[in-house]
Amino acid sequence: MAAPAQALSVAEQLVQLQAARKLALSTPAYYERIVKGVLPIIGPSAPIELRRWGAEFLAESLATPVLSIQEKESLTLAVLGTLQALLEGGDDDSIVLKASIAAAASSYPVIVRWIVNNSYHTESWEQMTAIKSRILRIWDNAPPPVKLSCIKFAQRVVLAQTASNGQEARAPGLDVSLDKIPASITFLDPRRMEAEATGLLDRMLGVLQDNSSDALLVDATLNCLSILIRTRPSTSNRIINCILNFNPLKLANSPMTPKIKVLVKSMEKTTRMLLIHILKRDPSYQPGGPNYQNSGRIQQYIQRLERSRIEIFDEAGRKRVLADQTAAQYGDAKRQKTEAPVAAPVTIPPLPPGPHTYAALYTVTSNPGLQSFDATQIPAPLASRVVVKALASIDQRVLDFTIAGIQNRLKTFQPLSATAAAVAAAAQPGAINAATAPLGVDEDDDDYEPNFNAAEDTEQILNKLDSAPPEVSPELGEGNAALGLGPFTLPPPPLIDPELATKLAQPASSRLFGPLSSLKEEGARKPRAGINRLAASSYDRESWLAVLARLSTRSTGGIQDVKAENAGSGPLALNEIIREMLFNYILEDWRRRIEVAVAWLSEEWYNDQLTKRSGSWGPLHYERCALRLVDGFINYITPQDKVLTRFLAEIPELNRDLLGRMKLLCGDPTTVNLTLTSMLYLVMMRPPAREIALDTVAEIWKEFEDARPLAAKYLVKWRPGFIESQTAGAAT
Amino acid sequence: MEATNGSSAAAMPPQNGHREDPGGFKLKFCTVCASNQNRSMEGHLRLALANYPVISFGTGSLVRLPGPTITQPNVYKFNETSYDSIYRELDAKDPRLYRANGLLNMLGRNRNIKWGPERWQDWQIGMPRTKQQTDKGYEGMEAGVADVVITCEERCWDAVIDDLLNRGSPLNRAVHVINIDIKDNHEEASVGGRAIVDLADSLNKVAVEEREKTGASAFDSGSGREGFDERVPEVLGEWQERWPHLPATWTLAWF
Repeated sequence: MAAPAQALSVAEQLVQLQAARKLALSTPAYYERIVKGVLPIIGPSAPIELRRWGAEFLAESLATPVLSIQEKESLTLAVLGTLQALLEGGDDDSIVLKASIAAAASSYPVIVRWIVNNSYHTESWEQMTAIKSRILRIWDNAPPPVKLSCIKFAQRVVLAQTASNGQEARAPGLDVSLDKIPASITFLDPRRMEAEATGLLDRMLGVLQDNSSDALLVDATLNCLSILIRTRPSTSNRIINCILNFNPLKLANSPMTPKIKVLVKSMEKTTRMLLIHILKRDPSYQPGGPNYQNSGRIQQYIQRLERSRIEIFDEAGRKRVLADQTAAQYGDAKRQKTEAPVAAPVTIPPLPPGPHTYAALYTVTSNPGLQSFDATQIPAPLASRVVVKALASIDQRVLDFTIAGIQNRLKTFQPLSATAAAVAAAAQPGAINAATAPLGVDEDDDDYEPNFNAAEDTEQILNKLDSAPPEVSPELGEGNAALGLGPFTLPPPPLIDPELATKLAQPASSRLFGPLSSLKEEGARKPRAGINRLAASSYDRESWLAVLARLSTRSTGGIQDVKAENAGSGPLALNEIIREMLFNYILEDWRRRIEVAVAWLSEEWYNDQLTKRSGSWGPLHYERCALRLVDGFINYITPQDKVLTRFLAEIPELNRDLLGRMKLLCGDPTTVNLTLTSMLYLVMMRPPAREIALDTVAEIWKEFEDARPLAAKYLVKWRPGFIESQTAGAAT
Repeated sequence: MEATNGSSAAAMPPQNGHREDPGGFKLKFCTVCASNQNRSMEGHLRLALANYPVISFGTGSLVRLPGPTITQPNVYKFNETSYDSIYRELDAKDPRLYRANGLLNMLGRNRNIKWGPERWQDWQIGMPRTKQQTDKGYEGMEAGVADVVITCEERCWDAVIDDLLNRGSPLNRAVHVINIDIKDNHEEASVGGRAIVDLADSLNKVAVEEREKTGASAFDSGSGREGFDERVPEVLGEWQERWPHLPATWTLAWF
């Protein structure tokens, strides 16, 4: 290959080299020989044309997808020396540098992989390291085309020196990552390598952090970040945060020359494309993925960007809006979703002229046996079952096709009125102009717009349907009135007798309790709105319970009062069922639901007051319910249940019966303290109940020996003279 | 503003004209539309006639051509169907219709350019294209890479960028991806084809200038030292002034 260089002119050499390159392209087996052959000709001392050709050929060869990463190893090892010489040999032609650095970028993962498997061969790693530090040194001051390659080189280093999640595409070299580097090789310290990668990533992202207006570098950076975000989890948050803080529209504040316009549009679109791509393709940003919580932020950023862009390129924005409106008005023929037509399995022959029966009109089969079959003989329930099954399994296209066929038949029937004819004529497309007829047929858009808000689409369709004129088909309206449908009303529901109603009330009320399990407890954080708040206004569990309590207390207030009294033994009325369920609900977890109990009892008490005031002799429920509740949980009370104190303090009314129940607690020495403390609380904080509370304490003192010391203490303070009178009485 | 597309592009070569090959450095182009039939093929042909290395692709999932009604398009698979077979099929179906709407004319042109429509997403970038030697614009495309990708519709540009992001840029090769919005009909495709050649000429001129500068150091920050890549936006901005009705978008991406 290496022809005697002196004998040939540069142009002749280039022709020869070009021929060699074509040979390698057509027969990949020759790659190695040809690459090694050209190395001496393209070194740093060669003429500039040869160096450029050589550097570009090396970049091409090291990147070619024809060779596997194994096959590239010896190739890469062979060219490292030349690459290093080209980069360090004082060569500062930007084309040579750009291509050499691109070649180095392709070499990097190959060498990392190789050195991991052949750690004794440190020489090539040292060469690669030298190349790397040279590139990183010239990066800052390089001209833009060279900088592009430096960015890409840094990206490959980051890719090779961070841990992978194994999601990369099957392209050689992309899967070389930090987790492939064992800790055993001393000069490949994974921690140092990762630290270096982090530093390089920051350097890459610098262009975004500085809000650079150099679109070339911004685009080049953004367009190589995707694989890092998707396959190197440790980089992804850093990159995304950086992008979300980047303002690609900053340049729009300067005067809009044609070039600036191109730059602004480019950076905005590139940023948006990358984010949309990540939302669409990165599983970790999908629902359930670890980064899902960030996707909302990304969406917002995308929307904000889009709005600002429309503001900046106002004219373009307006043009789009108009186009959209037209599309909405006439239906966008170009974007219509249609499927490839299938060969219709049924044919629907048009009916010959003349009178026909409806049966003939709707008969699509051509089998005479089936045609003569009288479908009305099938019992209706069976027929409906058959129809439902058939509709569920029928191919939509066949159905559409058949419906269209029947419609066609109907149309041929109608004497075409003048208006219908005009409509039909208007619908006929005019003569096609071959030059301007649209060629773009429907596209299924599978790779196009990410379908972020399908819900909106549905809504749009519904809106469109709403505003569409009512579909009165002309042929039904005119001429053939017999085919039109008359007004249809549902038959009135059968009357419900009280017994059935109460029977139905049971399941109905159990459904009322269904939402409780799914409704969230709003927690105590919520600031209380005080006495002026509206009950049941916050759609949480508390609100729903308020609704339930009122249903049980007031739903039938004033209606069935007297009747219910009489029908004592009959089935429970609706509100009694709810009461029962509310009672059970509270007792299921009475410690935590004591608040519910208080709320409910308050409602009961209030309702009782209303009943009393109305003068009707309706039943009162408060006392009964309160006693029942207390009886329900009193057996489970332990010394720690301070809720008892709270319950007694908060329920709207106390009476002797209720407090009498408390005495029972003193039978257990462990709960004496709790009981008496609760009483003391009532005595101190609830003056209207003070007397009955003290009476209770006094009774406790009398009845329970174990409780005496504590009870005596309270009595001495709050009912001086009582104990003396008792003991005196006992003494006498 | 009564500016019309290409109003000031006075130095355009004669329409559809084959022009002399001046030789020298050539940028490699790739044109892309939805079905690789009309706009990208018009661009492909024009660029090939202007002696540029060029390949072309479609980004749709299927090749779609108009049928007898809007809901009955003719649908073909990419990479498996030749222009010639589509031509023959449509000619057999309804020669009058497909001649009247220009499809047969278009397919007749396309079958002389290359074998069949190719899908962008299935393109193995960098795979040597040694079997396509009879394609128009083959010369220079042997290595199967391009310097500039020109798409003819915004969503094709989006599809190309999304695909490149997805591939993960294994080749470390920069590529300029430019969208030119061209309506999908024969007339606009023809106008767009001229605009594409105009852009290609402008870009290539800059690239040749970069190549011709030798000797001076890349690190001199003197004037006139700008390389091709950084001048692309400027060239595109100037081009946009000449073709105001073909809105363009650009980015620098990676193969």
